[in-house]
Amino acid sequence: MNVENLPQLTQFQVDEQPHIIVNKEICRDCDHRACVLTCPANCYTFDEETKLLSVVYETCLECGACYVICDKGALDWSYPRGGYGVCYRLT
Amino acid sequence: MAKYFDVIIVGAGPAGSMAALKLARAGLNVCMLERGQHPGAKNMFGGLLHNTPVLNEMLPSFWERAPLERYVYKKVLAFMTPDSAVSLTFENGNFEQPPYNGCTVFRPAFDSWLAGEAVKEGALLLCDCTAEDLIRKNGQISGVTVKGREGELRGNIVIAADGVMSFMAEKAGLRRDFRPGDLGVGIKLLLGLPEDTINERFHLVRDEGADISFLGTTGGLCGGSFLYTNRESISVGMVVHLDSLKASGQAPYDVLDELLEHPQVKKLIKGAVPLEYSAHLIPEGGIKSMPHVYTGGMMVAGDAAGLCYTNGINLEGINLAMTSGVLAAETAIEAIEAGDYSARMLSSYKKKLDGSFIIKDMKTFKNAVGMMRLERLSRTYPQLLTDILEKVYRVEGTPRSKLLRLARKEALKKIGLKGLVSDGIKIGRSLL
Repeated sequence: MNVENLPQLTQFQVDEQPHIIVNKEICRDCDHRACVLTCPANCYTFDEETKLLSVVYETCLECGACYVICDKGALDWSYPRGGYGVCYRLT
Repeated sequence: MAKYFDVIIVGAGPAGSMAALKLARAGLNVCMLERGQHPGAKNMFGGLLHNTPVLNEMLPSFWERAPLERYVYKKVLAFMTPDSAVSLTFENGNFEQPPYNGCTVFRPAFDSWLAGEAVKEGALLLCDCTAEDLIRKNGQISGVTVKGREGELRGNIVIAADGVMSFMAEKAGLRRDFRPGDLGVGIKLLLGLPEDTINERFHLVRDEGADISFLGTTGGLCGGSFLYTNRESISVGMVVHLDSLKASGQAPYDVLDELLEHPQVKKLIKGAVPLEYSAHLIPEGGIKSMPHVYTGGMMVAGDAAGLCYTNGINLEGINLAMTSGVLAAETAIEAIEAGDYSARMLSSYKKKLDGSFIIKDMKTFKNAVGMMRLERLSRTYPQLLTDILEKVYRVEGTPRSKLLRLARKEALKKIGLKGLVSDGIKIGRSLL
């Protein structure tokens, strides 16, 4: 499973309003950043140089794994507005 | 449009739609809020819709009309190591006779169909509506607000069928914060293959389907993998405990590759075209991590109520969800007749759950939650089993041992007496 192909496989209705906001200050000092590896859609990236965590909410599968795994309270995570976000066709 | 309802249901999944169907048939004014563009747009599962008596009762012969893929008549349990596999196959002709024991379905299709049955009976379905918060009146829940929209929906009773993450249960103060150990993350890749190829590879005819559960292909993580056949596609995926995933430092899609690259699996999926990738959390904490399921003006059903269990052999959730939805609806009907929506009145929902197979099964297998967290179950035991069988089958002109002696020697070498006794107790208490 090449997760890079995700946008070609799964359909998304992207909202201009993000439904995930990370607190970059908290994430800078996080000792595990488990969100980066746990996210099944590879939405999180940590830049070692700038020490900044970024999230690509556009391909979020809305599973909530990051929200549960983050024990630093650094994620403001909610469901997208109605009609937006992932839109499974088959599955 | 009436903005006041007898019952507001958050989530048009299996629990919500069954509740809506029951309530609409009772002549009540019921509204379902669905955050997806259509029911099922946000939902995924491994793939198996289990036989559910309340579904058969409320929609007799539903299989003639519902969008189903295949009737699963073949169940396989496979213990895998990187280069070998031991499997137990159970094929039962009765499973392909009505009422079918289980069938594979696509959730966007099935959930839309089920919600449509409720709509036909008079339920109102509002898609593109994410419930945001609860409205309270005189200390009881009396409605919900919708994200990003002005206005609100009010009603006598709210049924939260909003899935595993249930923000409604959280806002009602019914559940504690999630712990990674109580949840599994499921990921799945849907692979397209021609119908004839699937029939040949899995030895199936007509509408027959196969369900394969794998142990040992999760990179040492606590959990298991699965393969289900659909009509013209196969669903391959895995479920691993979130805390185990976090501790491993592995990415779930890389772990899935281990299954896809396994020589035994690779030949089953050869030439298949990836069609869709999906992920979802699963409440796997068992009965101990269930939230409270009712409060004044509200009941919680399905995944939102943590109604799901696995004992390594049975993996059930959708049938528990649909049944709980109907029990919540029955409770709502009684409450509306009595004009009483208090926690005391709605506590009969909990009694109904306790008296049903849902809580009985979750209690029966309450120790399985701990067993499923045995790391040796997904790594050492598959290896032990294949090592024993390799010695049993290998022919090399050296004297053989009897089976029990061989098994004992291998088990002591791999796990040790202490480990065997402790695992034996755990597995025994879970399943025997």
